[in-house]
Amino acid sequence: MKAWELLRSRLGFALLLFVVLATYVIVMGRQGTRLPPFNLDNIATALFTGLAIGALYALYATGIVVVYTTTGIFNFSQAAIGAFCAFLYWQLRVDWNWAAPVALAVVILVVAPLIGLGLDRLIMRKLEGSPVVVQLLVTVGVMYFILTATGQIWKQNRPRKLPAFYGTKSIDLGPVNLTYHRAIVLVVALAVATALRILFRSRLGVSMRGVVDNRTLAALTGARPDVVSSVAWALGAMLAAIAGIMIAPELELDPSNLNAVLVVAFAAAAFGRLRSLPWALAGALLIGLSRQFMSSFLKLGGDWQFSKNSVAPVVLMLAVIALPQSRLEVGRVARNLKQYERTTKVWEAVLGGAVLVLVVLALSGGWLHLGVWNPGAWNEVALNRANVAMATAFIGMSLVPLTGWAGQLNFAPMVFAGWGAFIHIKFALDPAIPTVSVWWLLLIGVLSAPLGAVVALAAGRLRGLYLALASIAFTEIMALLFFPHPKSGLRDAIIFKPFDVFGNALDTRRSMLILLAAVFVVFMIALTALRQSRYGRRWVALNNSEAASATVGVSVATTKVIVYAVSAAMAGVGGALFATASGSVDAVRTFTLDMSIPIVLLMAIGGMAYPIAAIFTTFQVLFLALGERLEQAGAPGWLLGVVTFLKFFGPGLGAIGMVVNQRGAAFETGRQNARFLPWRQDAKDEHRAAKAKSRETEIGELGLARPFTPSDIVVLERQLGIADDVAIGRHRRRDTASDLQRVKGGDGVALGG
Amino acid sequence: MSRKQLLSAFCALTMVTLAACSRDEAASTPETTTPATAAPTTVAPEPVTSDSAAPGDDTTAPPTTEADPCAGTTLDATDTGISADTITVLVMADVGSELAPGLFQGSIDGTKAWAKAVNAAGGLACRQVEVIEWDSKISATESTNGFLEACAKAAAMIGSTSLFIGDVSIIETCKDAAGVETGIADIPERAVDAQHQCSTHVFTVAGVNGSCPYSGTGPRDYQAAVGVYRKYTEIAGEPLHGIYLVPSDLPSTIASGMPTIRGLNQEGLVVSDAEFGVSGRAEQAVFGEYVAAMKTAGSNVAINGSNDQAMIKLRTEAKAQGLDEGGVIWSCSLACYTEGFQQDPNVDGTYVWLPFLPFEERDSNAELASFLDNIDQKFPQSWAVGAWNSGRAFERAVNSIVAESGPNGVTRASILAAMPTITDFTSNGWIGTVDFSKKEISSCFVILQLKEGAYQRVYPTEVGTLDCTETNLAIWTGDSLAEFQG
Repeated sequence: MKAWELLRSRLGFALLLFVVLATYVIVMGRQGTRLPPFNLDNIATALFTGLAIGALYALYATGIVVVYTTTGIFNFSQAAIGAFCAFLYWQLRVDWNWAAPVALAVVILVVAPLIGLGLDRLIMRKLEGSPVVVQLLVTVGVMYFILTATGQIWKQNRPRKLPAFYGTKSIDLGPVNLTYHRAIVLVVALAVATALRILFRSRLGVSMRGVVDNRTLAALTGARPDVVSSVAWALGAMLAAIAGIMIAPELELDPSNLNAVLVVAFAAAAFGRLRSLPWALAGALLIGLSRQFMSSFLKLGGDWQFSKNSVAPVVLMLAVIALPQSRLEVGRVARNLKQYERTTKVWEAVLGGAVLVLVVLALSGGWLHLGVWNPGAWNEVALNRANVAMATAFIGMSLVPLTGWAGQLNFAPMVFAGWGAFIHIKFALDPAIPTVSVWWLLLIGVLSAPLGAVVALAAGRLRGLYLALASIAFTEIMALLFFPHPKSGLRDAIIFKPFDVFGNALDTRRSMLILLAAVFVVFMIALTALRQSRYGRRWVALNNSEAASATVGVSVATTKVIVYAVSAAMAGVGGALFATASGSVDAVRTFTLDMSIPIVLLMAIGGMAYPIAAIFTTFQVLFLALGERLEQAGAPGWLLGVVTFLKFFGPGLGAIGMVVNQRGAAFETGRQNARFLPWRQDAKDEHRAAKAKSRETEIGELGLARPFTPSDIVVLERQLGIADDVAIGRHRRRDTASDLQRVKGGDGVALGG
Repeated sequence: MSRKQLLSAFCALTMVTLAACSRDEAASTPETTTPATAAPTTVAPEPVTSDSAAPGDDTTAPPTTEADPCAGTTLDATDTGISADTITVLVMADVGSELAPGLFQGSIDGTKAWAKAVNAAGGLACRQVEVIEWDSKISATESTNGFLEACAKAAAMIGSTSLFIGDVSIIETCKDAAGVETGIADIPERAVDAQHQCSTHVFTVAGVNGSCPYSGTGPRDYQAAVGVYRKYTEIAGEPLHGIYLVPSDLPSTIASGMPTIRGLNQEGLVVSDAEFGVSGRAEQAVFGEYVAAMKTAGSNVAINGSNDQAMIKLRTEAKAQGLDEGGVIWSCSLACYTEGFQQDPNVDGTYVWLPFLPFEERDSNAELASFLDNIDQKFPQSWAVGAWNSGRAFERAVNSIVAESGPNGVTRASILAAMPTITDFTSNGWIGTVDFSKKEISSCFVILQLKEGAYQRVYPTEVGTLDCTETNLAIWTGDSLAEFQG
């Protein structure tokens, strides 16, 4: 028991981590050759290099910890803000030749705080009480927006170099020199950690932590939550700016490069349980040292060439799994977004699916003649893009049961898809067989499910943010160690063979598109049926409350295993379809976090709980095609500008838009338009009620600004839920009847779900 | 409209304007990982001068000058991409994702410059050349789409550079205007994917350093450009031993980078003190380890197979670590022949070898001068050179068809037939001889050294010449991916 307690302490965890990393290094090193001597010079070099790199990571990690500790929001956009500020500093310092102190002051003391304040006022404050999923995805959206804006403002087609402070001047430490720049980074990292620790113990710091724990209570004790929140975001952005400016001379001035340190920063922050600055600093230094010692003293063969970069995700995975979960809890009650809602009937899904297939057939075949405009049949390029987009949509749909219903946030859909592609290669691509039977897809689904089950068993106790971080770590580990490995079979260029149905080869791109649409629809209908089944209800219940589910006899562990398995099976099928649609896959770049995040993001924008929302993952392909069509048609510049803008900034803005609409576009579209369907009397009633409600007058500030009128009182009572039927009158009775009708038939208005 | 709404509308309008009006800035240089050390090309005895024009050289005019082939000829649309008025070619390049544009912009610039020059000189096969640009976005899917687009609209693909190639069979089997599965000629700036390299429809000016056919895995015969290092040994005055940086972000870049170092090891020209895989995302601090290895071994050469940024980081770190740089040969390929590299004060003294006459010698070669006159950049990306020369090779093939069959004889099939008959292409003496009937690299090179912000010729000393000695190439057989220990 004592050993277990030791293991769960920070020291124990650090020891465990050391043992695991050492084992990992030794196992990897078995393949190594030509190991450099383990002498003082080499050790000193690795030590100082590792510390320098670790200090860079620490700057980002501390920023993440500060924002999380003081606002409760885990900020995915930390490195993106840093990248933007680094580019801005380059603009002022190098391109416009401003003096360094002035440029630094402008970026760190003016622009960065303004970014932080802007984010707080415009976006983050509105996220208070929102589910963790929404909070995370909104910050991912901000990250995308900032990175895209940076890439568009400072295009990467001219050389840009941010010089290190004091150039190549260095301090002679014997076997190794420490550059002034790195010495400054080390000092700044330590100073920031120390200063923030002192700040957190000050009155403002206590207020900051108090606000995140309980905003109302903190306000009652004299804290000013809004000011505290603004200060926290401004501080976080300043730290991001410092980190960006410090790290840019060590990397190339490239937005994606500067953002790539994010996973390492996550790992370091997780090492500090997202709350401890000294431990986050220690985690960053540990990662830097581990990576450098591994790089210096292990020469891994081509088979494991990417493994040294996997130190950070391994640390992240171990940190979120091994650290005591009770202390990792977010610690507050999310705003309850769950409402009773009408679920889509199976026959409606069949109808919708048929319409979808017809639309695909009509568009791709050029059957549509819109007056004088006949767009014609899609060419091979359009069909190829549509195939890849449709396969991606299918992978996105795998998130519906897992994340949309069961609430298990998963950033690894492309890993499950990659696993499906791997199975497809291993067992189906016999050189002697010209085509692959479409029924093979079912077997791929069955063989992909166990990976999901394994993940569920490993990460089953995690929830919310920590589950998301674990899935990020899992994606990175698989992307660095498994998929690029020659034995995965994915690294070599493989041309995937077409499917056949009952002996008929689907060897044209259009036939493949129809297959993809058909498979998409079949699974959409299956999911609709599943949602209404016992399993579907259990998954939703699990999302509402694991404790309550367990109380009524639902096995939480088994339910999670099943939902993960179902999701992995679907994504596996999607992976095989994706690989076949693409013709070949690039093992290094396809099944990665960079590919997974847009899918998750676009699914969230569409509405994670609705299978039809998977169509939203085709967003960028649609806008790309639209832009090309408009350009060919000689559309005016402003229109092309709008399309270009939406193509680049749409996903980011859409995700940020979740601040307002957290259920996604599919839900909103359904709510707005379901009343036009002849059989949706409930939606018509709902619309009428909403319209009537919108005509009600504003209450004002509880009668402070103007006197209460009788109608105000009626409205107030209604809003407080204490209205009397007689007082409210006929209008209210009609609403009540409508409510009762909805309850009888299942409430809600969404088309999907 | 509320103030918030007004503010939102203003922001949206600003961003739309930004997106609509944002334009690439003029200068362009490679910013990220390049496809390994560029290998020199073809075989020719002894140093040759650029004005020693090879037989059947590569001028814009058709070789038969007795009569104007366009006079009195009614031009037809002879095939897909060849109308009565125009010949359409497609250039595909990884210009990048939305976040990293400009990677191989030079390929597009070079092809467009060639088309501009051809059209200014009266066109090709009595028609004007039109260029379709295709961004392959470092994506196998988009390169497949590029092939499909070329099959649908172009007579040939010219000057392309794409790191990820999807299904090569598309360009080998796509139908011509008559419905025959003729395929389409692809004359890329370079080919890094094994399938692409070995395709019968692909004719690279840069050549292919591995033997064909190749299954994609296992041992292969490679040509390694070792002549440059023989010269470096002379410059150093002692046997070379040092470190080698392999671009390790992609298997294809490792595969094309390793044969050089193994060829050098095999020939006894360079002993490897250490070999390091370099990621495009590596911090400069990581290079401290490489410098330490050089210090420990007393290395006298550092060979960069990666991009210019890797060399900048290595040299900067070497300075910071106080390495005695005096006796070290800092070697880089054409990847370091960039404006950004030239401007960096930390890389002074770096040797850069090229398979073509450098831009600084425009007066020595009319083709080079024409290239510089027609391209928009002051210091173009080196990929533009290969793209321009791809265009010239295509032009020569078309001119030979016109000479033989008239301007209506130009079809995809006739282009595919004509390309392998070009066995002595030198782009009017700008590069070493290319034999398109073989998939081999050139042995020609020139060595420059960066001194005080300017590239200066080191060898051969005579302006306008390249060293094309046959023994500049060595054959190494092995599995290049398995050899990588970085």
